[in-house]
Amino acid sequence: MVSKVLVANRGEIACRILRACKEAGLSSVAIYAANDAKSLFVELADQAILLEGDSITETYLNQAQILEIASSSGADALHPGFGFLSERADFARAVSEAGIQWVGPSPNAIEKMGDKMSARITMRNAGVPVIPGEEIETEDEEEALIAIERASTRVGYPLLLKASSGGGGKGMRAVKRPEDLLDAARSARREALASFGDGRVYLERLLTGSKHVEIQILADRHGRTIHLGERECSVQRRHQKVFEEAPCSTMTEEIRSAMGKAAVAAAMAVNYEGAGTVEFLLAPSGEFFFLEMNTRIQVEHPVTEMITGVDIVREQLRIAAGEPMSCGELHLRGHAIEVRLYAEDAANNFLPAIGPLAVFQPPEGPGIRLDTGVRQGDEVTPNYDPMLAKLIVWAPSRDEALQRMRRSLDEFVVLGTVTNLRFLRELCDVPDVIEGTTDTTMIDRLWPDGWSPSLPNEFEDGALMAAAIAESVGLHRQSVSSQEASEHSGPVSPFMTLKRRYP
Amino acid sequence: MNHLFRTSQGPVEVILAKQGGIWHLGEHQATVGHDGRLMIQLASGASGFATVAKVGDVWWVHFEGCTFCLERIEPGASQSEDRGGLTAPMPGKVLDVFVEVGQLVESGQTLMILEAMKMEHRILASTSGHVTEIHFTMGEQVEQGSILLEMDED
Repeated sequence: MVSKVLVANRGEIACRILRACKEAGLSSVAIYAANDAKSLFVELADQAILLEGDSITETYLNQAQILEIASSSGADALHPGFGFLSERADFARAVSEAGIQWVGPSPNAIEKMGDKMSARITMRNAGVPVIPGEEIETEDEEEALIAIERASTRVGYPLLLKASSGGGGKGMRAVKRPEDLLDAARSARREALASFGDGRVYLERLLTGSKHVEIQILADRHGRTIHLGERECSVQRRHQKVFEEAPCSTMTEEIRSAMGKAAVAAAMAVNYEGAGTVEFLLAPSGEFFFLEMNTRIQVEHPVTEMITGVDIVREQLRIAAGEPMSCGELHLRGHAIEVRLYAEDAANNFLPAIGPLAVFQPPEGPGIRLDTGVRQGDEVTPNYDPMLAKLIVWAPSRDEALQRMRRSLDEFVVLGTVTNLRFLRELCDVPDVIEGTTDTTMIDRLWPDGWSPSLPNEFEDGALMAAAIAESVGLHRQSVSSQEASEHSGPVSPFMTLKRRYP
Repeated sequence: MNHLFRTSQGPVEVILAKQGGIWHLGEHQATVGHDGRLMIQLASGASGFATVAKVGDVWWVHFEGCTFCLERIEPGASQSEDRGGLTAPMPGKVLDVFVEVGQLVESGQTLMILEAMKMEHRILASTSGHVTEIHFTMGEQVEQGSILLEMDED
């Protein structure tokens, strides 16, 4: 039985999980760092408890403190979301040992599949093709660097360095020339250590021209392990996904079935429970290679929800409570696209940006879903990941979904902080995106010297005119003064005082 | 009414005229809506609403799916000059400093590593020259735009 869920995360995904708890009739507990006190997710929880400490290590990564709060608040389940502690087997184990249900797979499954090195070994043993690569097991800096250098000659260039317990592009470096290897390795290890508390890396050959395709898995304790079709997430910048869709435009029934089978086999090999994702590289030849398995809910899970009608987070909660998953036979319906709205300057090498969200007006209308952890008036700070929102659209066909995405992005207004909105909008007009021939190198290939917006001159004229008029009529002062007026002038109508008549 | 704005292409002076309730900029026209949005009618015939917000000296304008940052230059204000320093492209923490004052560095050499939002960013020398000053040490927080180090060019 599960009745009270502690959400050990923040931002957008915490909101997603807290809302699912509410819908499932479960009470919820949020934990938050002091600099998150005004964040949306804190409001959405039935109960919110302050984490002591300043840094991420002292707060959202602080296992002991989170466990203590989980116990004292009476939570009987803990949902880790993604990032932070979601793929830490030691934490999952500690949670279970405290008598609290971990919403996710067993610590053993996380260890085997969540660790990218042992996952590769497990998959190779299970007969699933993996990319040529090598694991560097040693934790010692100098020894690791020597081992990395040796392995690089066997793996070949170009190669990719990845954090063993990584995700989200952190601790990942593409290395094109041997002379760049050591610098990249040091920096990848440092970033991996800072983000995941584990500096181990592995090397694999960088396969160009391939699509990143992943299979969503659900498994319950009643002997059912199913896949929910694929997502394509080839469009990436700095190894982070920005544009995801389901289904994959070049997918055939044969490949889907083979990939799905491989993913289900992978999950069953470790007695997987809950939601998980098996990532593959799909070569133009139709061959596919295992990349890694994410033993948690994934950022881009909504596109799968849109085309299958399955509420994946709700199923996670159901499975964690020991119930069978509720979805029956699946039929893929229509096409869904997700874009990630980041506070970043796409024209300046995608560097993170900060500032106030002076205006935050998401698009509306049919087929649109917005998953976000912010609202107008919030401040974007450098403390956390710069993802502001996920905009998801659904339409009967891929063409219509793209049209809907263009319309939605045109309607989306964010003022006060630089975002990648324009970049996302222009992506929708890229021939590779329109044709569905995207691959993982597309952004670097299209914009080798960096992207810059194409803003029509006459629109800039219009914007300059708008700014000049706004300055002339004092629009910035007006909005403030009208607010002040309503706060200070008190009730103007005698009928505005609260009255209640009793019969 | 005249206003000076800094755009990506440099300063632009905007000279507005007003007749009745209608604003004119050359052949473009605009009216102010009751909700604070502006209805813009461009000379080309294209038209749409602009949403605006002012943060500090910058007017943020959303128009036709494009977002513009237009910094208003106060009349008489002097333009900020480039001091040849290397500025922080974003707020964050100094993770490492690789150079010392007086050191000769080559163009493209890594001088410093900044960390923001759990990502690392390298600060590279834009030209070769001597490092004349270093304003931050390892572990310090920097604001966006703060000058990290200064160099004199060869």
